[in-house]
Amino acid sequence: MDKMYDVIVIGSGFGGPVAAKKCAEAGLRTLMIERSATVGEKVISGLTIPIYGFLFGPDFIRDGNPPFERPADGIINYIITDIDNGVIEIDDTLRVPRPFSPVISFGYNAYCKPFCEWEAEKAFQAGTELRTSATVVDVIRENGKVAGIILETGERIFSRIVIDAEGSQGLVAIKAGIRKKYPPEAISLADTYDYEMDKSDVDKLFGYSLRFCWGWDEQKIAPPLGHGNGLMVWPYRESVHFMQDHCLRLDGGKVPNLKKRFREYHDNITRKLPWWREEVAPRCTVRARMWEGFEIYVGLDPELRKMPNHDDGILLIGDAAGLESTELCDGVPAAWFSADIAADVAIEAIRRGDTSKAFLKKYDDRIKDHAVLQWSISAKNRYNLRYAQEKKDPRLLKKYIHNGWGMGQLTHSLTPILKMTFRQIQKDPAVITKWIKMYFRYYQNWIHNGYDFAGREDRIVDEARRPKTGEAVFRFFAGGLELMLRLLRPLIQLLAMAGFYLSGLANPVMKLLLPVIRPLYKLLRKPMAPLGNRLSDEIVRFVKYADPKLFEVASETKCGAGAKTSLPDIR
Amino acid sequence: MNQKKRTNERFPGVEWIPGTGAFITVDTEKCTGCANCVNVCLGDCWTLMAKKARIKSLDTCMECASCWYVCDTGAISFKWPTGGTGYRSDWG
Repeated sequence: MDKMYDVIVIGSGFGGPVAAKKCAEAGLRTLMIERSATVGEKVISGLTIPIYGFLFGPDFIRDGNPPFERPADGIINYIITDIDNGVIEIDDTLRVPRPFSPVISFGYNAYCKPFCEWEAEKAFQAGTELRTSATVVDVIRENGKVAGIILETGERIFSRIVIDAEGSQGLVAIKAGIRKKYPPEAISLADTYDYEMDKSDVDKLFGYSLRFCWGWDEQKIAPPLGHGNGLMVWPYRESVHFMQDHCLRLDGGKVPNLKKRFREYHDNITRKLPWWREEVAPRCTVRARMWEGFEIYVGLDPELRKMPNHDDGILLIGDAAGLESTELCDGVPAAWFSADIAADVAIEAIRRGDTSKAFLKKYDDRIKDHAVLQWSISAKNRYNLRYAQEKKDPRLLKKYIHNGWGMGQLTHSLTPILKMTFRQIQKDPAVITKWIKMYFRYYQNWIHNGYDFAGREDRIVDEARRPKTGEAVFRFFAGGLELMLRLLRPLIQLLAMAGFYLSGLANPVMKLLLPVIRPLYKLLRKPMAPLGNRLSDEIVRFVKYADPKLFEVASETKCGAGAKTSLPDIR
Repeated sequence: MNQKKRTNERFPGVEWIPGTGAFITVDTEKCTGCANCVNVCLGDCWTLMAKKARIKSLDTCMECASCWYVCDTGAISFKWPTGGTGYRSDWG
């Protein structure tokens, strides 16, 4: 007999489990299909998940203990104009200021594999059925409507809705006639090296800072910006990731010999750059090399952006829907946002018994209405970076780096960030305390390596070193804030609604104010540094020894019909 | 899974589980011998023989589909390897 599900999710990467978990929690019979033998085998890493993913993403990630590798609080840029004669400008001003850093960071570096496993495990606990070693080759069409999937074995599995989270290649969506293959101009090939290194060495050499290398084309030091991301180095807990990426083709031109170029770039950096040669190389050993293509230019091409993300009975999420951030070259937050929305729409569609294309259009509307998602897939600073590089102008390059990731970013990202912030507060004012606790909990997890499934449950709190006064202060303020948010709920929701509409002004206002704020910040940075550092140290000490219960958020786990209590054997 | 895994010293940290079948194929009629696929494959899976692209071996294929993207004439077709086979890594 053919099996019947409410929802089938194709793929268990970053997006799939989020959608599956939500559907299962709503009581829907949900199946998640993964083509590898265990979750997370077919992913490559080299990423910082930007903070907006955690702030505006799924509740269970924000309120949980996901396994990231290291907080990221700054980017140190190497602008290399003459590698052979060592003409290198190092710009280390791009960082989250103290005392906010390191507890408040701009993102978290992560290995994809444990993260996807963690998410899949959450989805499983909520009642999702998981099937691995199964490749979906096509969808079942009944009267034009998608009614399930076909595995390579010929097995047919039926469902009311299919959520396609298979990643950037989008083979199922192409086969189903929903989308077309991307042109090579839209795809960047990322080549990653995983280097093992002692934690103390990573702490000393990198701290919480990423390293980006930028070079003129003939330096052959890093892939040209604008056509890829240049070269980036991420510090992890006990390893370092080196990633270079380059577009498969540049504006209708020739396909570059990436096999040769990537080797050249890697050799040049590791042998010629003094910092790498003398400091990093003696302390690290290569553990893995892997690569993958991803679609960072899709959001910038109006034609590609118009490709459908839904059809009768099917929703596409994350990379499969072309939602990759061009500005930060990261698809994780967009995958989370779209998975969350897709699950909401799928649940509603199934409850109403209407899974038609016309009803599922709601999904597309909500994607288009998501301010942060839309900003992240369509920001264009990448072209500026390329322009500066072609002009061989280091000052211009620095300007665009700071416009893209530094304070200048506020002139184009403040409106979407504020819009999402206010929207979340309007939905649930208590989210403010959840955000605060998230930062503290995440940082504490980083210090103690205390994620779920990594010994968090067994951690013994050192009673003697507990900062009792600090805890009382935290409890007082967090509790007070929570009480205020609850008492003034209608008023705060009203203010948030007003804030949402006023956010439209944030970008232009920031453009006016930035010429004042920038020099002021520069002026104050040095004299304020000692105070900032001391405060930051105090906060870190507090977080280190405080009772983890202080930062916990009561979970609202709802379990679906098939909910499991014991962990599945997918690790 | 009890299948024997393959490794390659040029690509540490990655294993390949055989049984994938011909998940990448090339139509020699359509192939113009432009060598785009040879140039973008970091796994060195492609070669040119008599001005036609040929798959040397899929033993080091990481399923990135770059060859498929850069093939302008549509000579290369790509599908996912059989479930549970192909590349795997613990460091992704």
